[in-house]
Amino acid sequence: MNAYLPPLVIDVRVKEEGSRGFRIWLPLFLLWPLLFVLLALALVVTLIADLVLLLGGARYHHYTLLVLRSLGLLAAARGTHVRANNDGSRVNVDIY
Amino acid sequence: MSEDRKRILGMLAEGKITADEADLLLDSIGATPEPATTAPAATSSPSADWPTGPSASGTPKFMYVKVTGKDQVDVKVPLALLRTGLKLTSLIPPQAMEQINSSMSEAGMSFDLNNIKPEDIEDIIESLREMEVNVKSKEGDDIRVFCA
Repeated sequence: MNAYLPPLVIDVRVKEEGSRGFRIWLPLFLLWPLLFVLLALALVVTLIADLVLLLGGARYHHYTLLVLRSLGLLAAARGTHVRANNDGSRVNVDIY
Repeated sequence: MSEDRKRILGMLAEGKITADEADLLLDSIGATPEPATTAPAATSSPSADWPTGPSASGTPKFMYVKVTGKDQVDVKVPLALLRTGLKLTSLIPPQAMEQINSSMSEAGMSFDLNNIKPEDIEDIIESLREMEVNVKSKEGDDIRVFCA
């Protein structure tokens, strides 16, 4: 289940030399209820499409799996970290 | 340099004390030899706690991209992303896959994504442990890609 848990927070920190910098904490988990509603609707559509394709004898009937794996791809982005330094400026991006 | 240290070194220079005595006195005041040159403060890596090279054993968990030079960029990407992406390629509809392959071919990458089988993915991930890419750009930037 954890493998399908999408990123919960994106933490962006920007620090310029001589300034205090700023930090943005994006609570993505607030968007996920909306995403899950859309996902449920998409899954209904893809299940019907796959069933029709399967009964019609089509070779490809994996749209449901495609949607689920796409969610997995989104979830796999958790743990990505980017650190950049340039002439005293620092930018950190962390996906949790 | 502290006054005590100066005085001891002055006595040594004047021959009032021997080198061993000076050493003892310096030890007693807790003086430590100063480095001959002060190295300029190196720009610390933005992620000093990350591995500096490929892991010797085990399945790698992350892919690291490190750029050092004028700019310093460190990127840590979970290999789960690669694993999931490769698995996703086997589910892409055939028409879309043909378009992807032709676009890649036009860009000079004659690589058929259909050839990646789900059962080979773990082997691909495992073999990434031995992969290391080192690039030195004309601007003097070093780019390293490895998995650990």
